[in-house]
Formats: sequence, structure tokens, C-alpha cells
Amino acid sequence: MRWIWIDKIIAFEHGRRAVSIKNVSLAEEHVHDHFPGYPIHPPTLIIEGMAQTGGVLVGEAFDFREKVILAKVTRAKFYCHVVPGDQIRLEANVVGEIRLEGALIDGRITRNGDLVAEIQMMFAHLDQSRAPLELGEENFVFTEDFIRMLRMRQLNHLDPPPAEHGI
Amino acid sequence: MRFYLVDRILEIDPPRRIVAVKSLSLAEEYLADHFPAYPVLPGVMMLEALVQTAAWLVRVKTDFEKSLVLLREAQNVRYGNFVRPGGQLVMEVEAIEIGADSSRFKAVGQCDGQQAVQAKLTLEHLNIGDEDPLRANLDEGLRTFLREQFRLIRGPQALAARVQP
Amino acid sequence: MAFSRDEIMEKVREALVDALGVDEDEVIPAARIGPDLGAESIDYLDIVFRLEKAFNIKIPRGDLFPDNILTSEEFVQNKKLTEKGLAELKVRMPFADLSKFEQNPNVDDIADLFTVDMIVNYVEAKLSSAAA
Repeated sequence: MRWIWIDKIIAFEHGRRAVSIKNVSLAEEHVHDHFPGYPIHPPTLIIEGMAQTGGVLVGEAFDFREKVILAKVTRAKFYCHVVPGDQIRLEANVVGEIRLEGALIDGRITRNGDLVAEIQMMFAHLDQSRAPLELGEENFVFTEDFIRMLRMRQLNHLDPPPAEHGI
Repeated sequence: MRFYLVDRILEIDPPRRIVAVKSLSLAEEYLADHFPAYPVLPGVMMLEALVQTAAWLVRVKTDFEKSLVLLREAQNVRYGNFVRPGGQLVMEVEAIEIGADSSRFKAVGQCDGQQAVQAKLTLEHLNIGDEDPLRANLDEGLRTFLREQFRLIRGPQALAARVQP
Repeated sequence: MAFSRDEIMEKVREALVDALGVDEDEVIPAARIGPDLGAESIDYLDIVFRLEKAFNIKIPRGDLFPDNILTSEEFVQNKKLTEKGLAELKVRMPFADLSKFEQNPNVDDIADLFTVDMIVNYVEAKLSSAAA
């Protein structure tokens, strides 16, 4: 199981907004434990998908130089179950502005236009907030691998996103 | 990697309180991505550990009545120290209220005596048959599976060890 | 936008309830954000963002919750604020009530100064200077 809970970034506005999608598939291991015979994509992994979408938005604002981490989930509310065969759309919007100290993100997740979840979360920078820890220079949050996989160097050249649709 | 975030129940006092533990091992493959050369238990996994701990309290209190117990809402989830491989997250969950279809909790996770995570949780409880009548036959099997898992994580021993008033 | 002090208090209360998950009736003027309402370091930034949005104001870093008075030897000695430190604090936090703190200015007690009342004072001043 990779720790990547979004598949593709489909829209991006520097410092303001990012939209991603995730396919949920029977081929994924975790759904078979949650629950055996009746797979439901876990709400906490939907939160992580939003954290990764918001994380890219906040990280890009600093050219992926800072180690951006999830510091707080103010609220995460779920309205329906996401199951294999579904594709969810995760939209992250910055509340106010991204600051050096951190950012507040409003997240909205939909499937075929239906509201799946509303999530509000805060990001902070690891070096700024956890001074006592010994951290290397290298940015292990945004590695070249991760950046390449999500094509994060081409965010500002994305084609306009397709109209919302399911599969 | 398996999506089980409770390894053992340490204490249980239904319907009020439950304490459980999640042990973190380098063998859990997703750690390779979180983060490369700096493996730590992801924040949402800490949250899932709290959710699953609370779910066990619901199941015991309701005698496993509903086969699906899921997170409906999380509030004020705050993160503190990291949990590293070789470490353990100790989840302490207190019930505010456990109803038939939903429940609310205050939950805290600590590692080495330091706070790693805290949250307020609302869970929903339902049977597969409530959502998908065609597959209602699955509920009984899932209930049996979960009762067995409760034994696996030493639930009965924790129940027996309750300090009687 | 013109808000009465009561309206400001109402919106500040809403921001604190959302950011800290406390009950409305816990948010009284004398309540200290940290010791009484349970705010941790990330929460202070959360509160700032919410206040900016609620009142359409800009709150520069360290303006509402000064975070770096404690680093200079000029200002802090033996975990207490010096004369200069106190003077600096008064300049940085004109909306806080320093009377009690002054008597025994322990660095560790600075969190006691961040009260709901102080926030309401700050917002009130910010809004009236914007209107001026």
C-alpha cells in the first residue's frame, strides 16, 4: 500500500485552490479490511486525500522547500459512503492567505456532484513548529519521487478540468 | 498493509471508557512514503486508531448489534508528538454518549507519555442491510468475524480485568 | 463595517468555538485562550485566520499574539521580564490588561494575558482605525 491518497491533480491556482481526483478500486488492499465483504473507502483516508491536496497547494506556495505537514483537522464531516468503482473529487481552497507560519484550508469532496464530505484543516511547517527535533536539510515531505508522480512541476500549466462526471 | 489500527485492548469499562494500543513497526510498508528516511505514523492513522478504539466500545456496549461502525464526524483533531517505529500509540477513549445509531467520544492518543493526538469523534452505526438490502446476508458473517477479532485483541481479558466497584 | 462591542464579542465567540471546540458558555471575557480554553500553538493561527475572515481585517504576524518578546536578554532575565521587557510588552500588547501581570512578570505567565477580552479590544481598535 502506497501512502498516496489522490491520483491526479486536475486544477490548480497558485496560493488559492487545488482540485484532485481519486479512484477507489477493489484492487486496493485496505478496503478489504474496511469491511470484509462490504468495502467502504475509510473516511480517515478521505481526510488524508484532502491533506495531500491541500499539502500540495501550501507546499507549492513555497516552491516545495518547506516540510508542510498536517497540524490540525478543525472539522471533518461525512455525508455518504464512498465505495470501489467511485471516483471522488477533492477541492481545497485557502482561507485568507498562505502564511509562513501555516495555512487554513477549506475542503469539499464530491462524487458525481453529490457531497461526500466537508473538511477544514490547518497546515504548518515542520521546521518552524518542531524546533527540538533533529531534521535534515532534505525535504522528505516533498521528495522528487512524489513530485514526479503527481506532476507537481507542471501545476501551473494544467488544462482546464473536465466537467464533473463519474465512471 | 492491513487496515487494523488496534493491536490490543488494555482496559475496557463499558459503556464509559476504553484503552487500547497500536504498535508501530517498520514492517508497515506505507511508512516508506511517510516519510522517506523519516518514518512516522501518519496523522490520519492516529485518528483511525482512535476511531477503531471507540468502535470497539460501541460494539461491546451494543453487543455487536450493528456490523458497520464508521466515522461520521471528527472535530478539533490536534496533533502533537510523532509516533516512530518501535513505539506505541496508547489510545484512551471516553464515551460522551452511545446511542443505537450513533455515538460521541473524547479521545486522546499518547506515545511515551506525550500527547500525540486528541479528537472529538462522532461515529455512525448501521447494518449492511440498512444501506443495501440485497446484501443483508453479510451482516451475520461480519458480526461473527468481529466477535472473533475482539477475542484476538484480548477484549475478553480486558473485560474480565475490570476493577469491580 | 460598523460593529457594536456586543456584535464583535459574538463573532469572536463564534471564532473561538469553531477553532477550539469549546462550548459557547465557556467563552467569557475573562477566559484565557490558553489556560482556560485549551488553545495550543497551532490554534492561535487558526483563531487569527477566522478573525480576519469574520471582520475583513488583516492581522500581521505577532500583532494579536506576540510570539517573540521572550527571546532577548534585554527583555527577559531569570525567567522574569525586565523593566525594558515590560515596556516592550506594553507597546506590543496595548489591548491587554497588564496590571496583575506587572506585579510578578513571570515569562511563563504571559499566556494569561491572552484573554477573550483582549481579542475583542484588539478587533474593536482595528475596526475603528480602519473606519477612520
